[in-house]
Amino acid sequence: MAVVNFSIKMLEVLGVDTQKLEQLVDALGMEIEKAEEGEVYVDITPNRPDLLDIFGFARAMKYLDRKLTPKNGAYALKNDPEIEVIVSESVKKVRPVIAAMVVKGADLSGGRLKYIINFMEKFSETYGRKRMKVAMGLHNLDAVEPPFHYDAKKEGSFAPLGGNAEMTFEQILKEHAKGASYAYTLGKSGLYPQLSDSKGRIMSLIPIINSDLTKVRESTKNLLVDITGTSESAVNNALDMIACSFIDAGFDIYPCVIKRDGAEATTPQLAYNELRIKPIDTERTLGVGISQADIITQLNKLGYDGAVFGRYVLAYVPPYRVDVLNQQDVIEDIAIGYGYNNIVPAPVIGTSIGIADEHAEFYNRLSVLLVGMGFTEAMNGYLTNETVDGDNMLRHYDKHSIVRLAYSKVETFTMLRTSILPCLLNNLAISSNEALPQRLFETGSVFGMDNKKPFENGAVALVSEHSKANFSEMKAYVEALLGVLGVDYKLAEGDDSSFIKGRCAAIIVGGNTIGTFGELSPEVLSNFGIAEPTVGAEISADQLIASLPYAERRKHAPVQ
Amino acid sequence: MPASCIEVMILHEYEAKLLNFLKEKGSADFEELKRLGLNEDSLRWAIEELAKAGAISVEKEVLQDIALTDEGRRYLKEFPEEELLNVLSRKGSMDLREISNEIGLIWAKRNGWVEIKNGKASLTESGKKALNASYALKESLNAASHGARSSDLATLEKRNLVMVKSRSVIKRVSITSHGMKLSPEQEGIGALTRELIKSNAWKGKEFKPYDINASTEAFYPARTHPLHEYIDTIRGIWLGMGFTEVTGPIIESAFWNFDALFSPQDHPTRDMQDTFFLSNPKTIDIEDIETLSRVRSMHSHAWKERWSKELAKQALLRTHTTSVSAHYMRKFANAINASYPVKLFSVGRVFRNESIDYKHLSELYQMDGIIIGGKLSLSNLIDTLKSFYDQLGFHDVKFRPSFFPFVEPGLEVYYYDEHFKDNIELCGAGVIRKEITKAMGLDKSVLAWGGGVERLLMRGLGIERIAEIYENNIGWLRKRAEIIG
Repeated sequence: MAVVNFSIKMLEVLGVDTQKLEQLVDALGMEIEKAEEGEVYVDITPNRPDLLDIFGFARAMKYLDRKLTPKNGAYALKNDPEIEVIVSESVKKVRPVIAAMVVKGADLSGGRLKYIINFMEKFSETYGRKRMKVAMGLHNLDAVEPPFHYDAKKEGSFAPLGGNAEMTFEQILKEHAKGASYAYTLGKSGLYPQLSDSKGRIMSLIPIINSDLTKVRESTKNLLVDITGTSESAVNNALDMIACSFIDAGFDIYPCVIKRDGAEATTPQLAYNELRIKPIDTERTLGVGISQADIITQLNKLGYDGAVFGRYVLAYVPPYRVDVLNQQDVIEDIAIGYGYNNIVPAPVIGTSIGIADEHAEFYNRLSVLLVGMGFTEAMNGYLTNETVDGDNMLRHYDKHSIVRLAYSKVETFTMLRTSILPCLLNNLAISSNEALPQRLFETGSVFGMDNKKPFENGAVALVSEHSKANFSEMKAYVEALLGVLGVDYKLAEGDDSSFIKGRCAAIIVGGNTIGTFGELSPEVLSNFGIAEPTVGAEISADQLIASLPYAERRKHAPVQ
Repeated sequence: MPASCIEVMILHEYEAKLLNFLKEKGSADFEELKRLGLNEDSLRWAIEELAKAGAISVEKEVLQDIALTDEGRRYLKEFPEEELLNVLSRKGSMDLREISNEIGLIWAKRNGWVEIKNGKASLTESGKKALNASYALKESLNAASHGARSSDLATLEKRNLVMVKSRSVIKRVSITSHGMKLSPEQEGIGALTRELIKSNAWKGKEFKPYDINASTEAFYPARTHPLHEYIDTIRGIWLGMGFTEVTGPIIESAFWNFDALFSPQDHPTRDMQDTFFLSNPKTIDIEDIETLSRVRSMHSHAWKERWSKELAKQALLRTHTTSVSAHYMRKFANAINASYPVKLFSVGRVFRNESIDYKHLSELYQMDGIIIGGKLSLSNLIDTLKSFYDQLGFHDVKFRPSFFPFVEPGLEVYYYDEHFKDNIELCGAGVIRKEITKAMGLDKSVLAWGGGVERLLMRGLGIERIAEIYENNIGWLRKRAEIIG
């Protein structure tokens, strides 16, 4: 999901054996993209946002390498809460959730501040869904005075971070780079969520930019961290995660009291979730016998403290592992610790009969017949546009009858094809340098709308281009095909506008038209840029299958 | 002529025919020789052979074929300098920076049609005259399109509008004195005929030998598409392993493509930037109310956020064939008399809203499979996938952890590619999350996997550009290599 770069030197300072880095990263299913200028670039797996941070990453590497043993409760708060954040009713309409903590004894020198800020940015972009769901703020606690207030107001102003001039919030959204990027998070509420101190100084326009007042420098000693968002669990998870990183960086964490609606909550929680793991479930999932002791060993490698509890193993999920929902997730980590390549393969027990799909088999049968008749197979994309599929073919259809895309990065894709013939005509047009005759066929799906519901139908189409191509040539091919398949059909005059009037036939089976063929109109050929006479046919494969005289061979439907 | 002067030589029937004709006539034009009844290739061959033997002399002529390039065909309508002329006559004068038609500008200047002053281009007197006159170069191009030569041909060729190919053709052949002395050995049988067979007249006679190295016309057999062939190989392996083939809709609801597979509603892949959502139809109804309510509670429980039925109804083009697997998990929850383990696979198209380049396409094939059963483990999954890829030609696959929202544990199958010197992913796999099987109403374990097709085919065909597969240039389809590996 995200490639992050870490200083190899700093990883070593944090106790990681960087000689083994590639092997360790691989064991977690991630990849080192590159290593250059003393930095290593790692592609972090999307379910592990805790690894986006150098402290979290180093911690995982050390556990896996058995250089560090996880301990239940190791990530803990320093003290009782001292600082209050008072939440106003008004934020409910725009950004309802806040959590906060105080960090003391900070040493932000030696590039630590840069790593913390990088982590917060990456985290807010990915897990935080571009700050919509979760965003983080970092303040110099000594520049302001608690208690703090979280409000949403119709206006506000301050000098944004890195600037001297005072700007109104309205100006920031319009003129400031960060304002323009994240204005969408406020929706149409007309409210500006803001954090201010007891003296009424605004510290942050949440989740867009902080005031220059609380700017954090490498020399800053005490910090206030705020996390805001739309989801209570996501915000609390995020605070837990960053608190663990600060603890690993050697800082002390003091909780805050969040006061709202007369209720009080303390954040962060730093709670260890205790999950009971059944060894039998682990064995069933892995397919290999594994002892309680071995389970605990693997758990330790993935950062969990573990303990035997009767027939179970207790796994203590550290607070930063926000991706672990239940036993399954822990069993996956046990499997990762065990190593997928150490699992001995065992065949699935029980026999079964493989039955092919009817359409796929029928298409194969058509391929054999049509290749035998001298047609080469094409396979085109299903995405197309109205010009190729409709206008070029002189086919004019109701806009509501086609399946249309809402948005495509490729401008020439606006819809799903209604017919195979235009695709084959395109193929002939780009093959103008090749020897004639050129004969192509394709089997596949065509799409449309019927009674406001989308449909996907199977079809087969063929084209033949050369100086003497004419109606009777295509008629001979179509009759040969239908004859071999044993289809009982009649021909009638066709009215497909892509063909020359009077040289187009409709194939009728049981009163239904199942296809048309004939000489393509010179206007159609010019539209595609085809120089020689061309004949074509398109038949519904679904209706062909329904018209086959022999009984359906496929008796074994996969499910009744 | 004394008999001793005659040299007897075994000649092919065609050579003999030609030699005898020339002995009488002395010399003849190629057109005249065509009346001998030989096809042109045979005639040319006989001439070359007799010339090599010194029996005849050949007079050749170099002809030039003129053909328009793609660009030339476009220019038939309008040359860029004419286009510029028209634009300038409408606008009066233009800033040079505004003019993107650089070719037009160069040639209009060369023709003396425009002048440039202070960074602005405007029409000269001769440019104004040219507006209403026909453009000589276009006339020449027009003539060239009918194969006619003109004094401008060199210019047209330099501008890459026409291609001039030289070929040497046989004009006239004459018999040499050596040829006059040759007597074709007439005894052998030439073409075998119905009469010869019926009358037994061939018995006791020799057949004249043919030159097995004589060139023949190129022949291109009709062929199936390589992607179809490769998909059939994949299908054959799964069918052979006892898997039944299933299919599902390409036009799908977000519900079956995402929600049923545990993908949170605010997940980035559910963005317009990654997935093709539809404007017609905008929504697809979810008729299975029971599953709907179970999926709703699965989401609210796991993500602790509001789950929107409206978002789940959004119509889209499926982004993976795992949606087919979701439908079948649901179907088997209601199955009567199913015998487990049930093994299913599907191969079908999937769609991603991508910008197209040599590595990416908007639609691709994916194969998916599931095994539904009571006791199924990672070791069963690894065995199944090892066996499949071994048959597909990947004999040393490895496994590593990987994340997909719908499996836990999740893994990735990969192999080390000697050519790219890199690990290449083959497919993603895992055990379907219990939350999902429960929401589908299934009280069984499900092993699942899904992987791409085209990249493996590219390796088999030895091609580098993925788009080549879907271009369907008939030359490529006719001449492409067989799939290896």
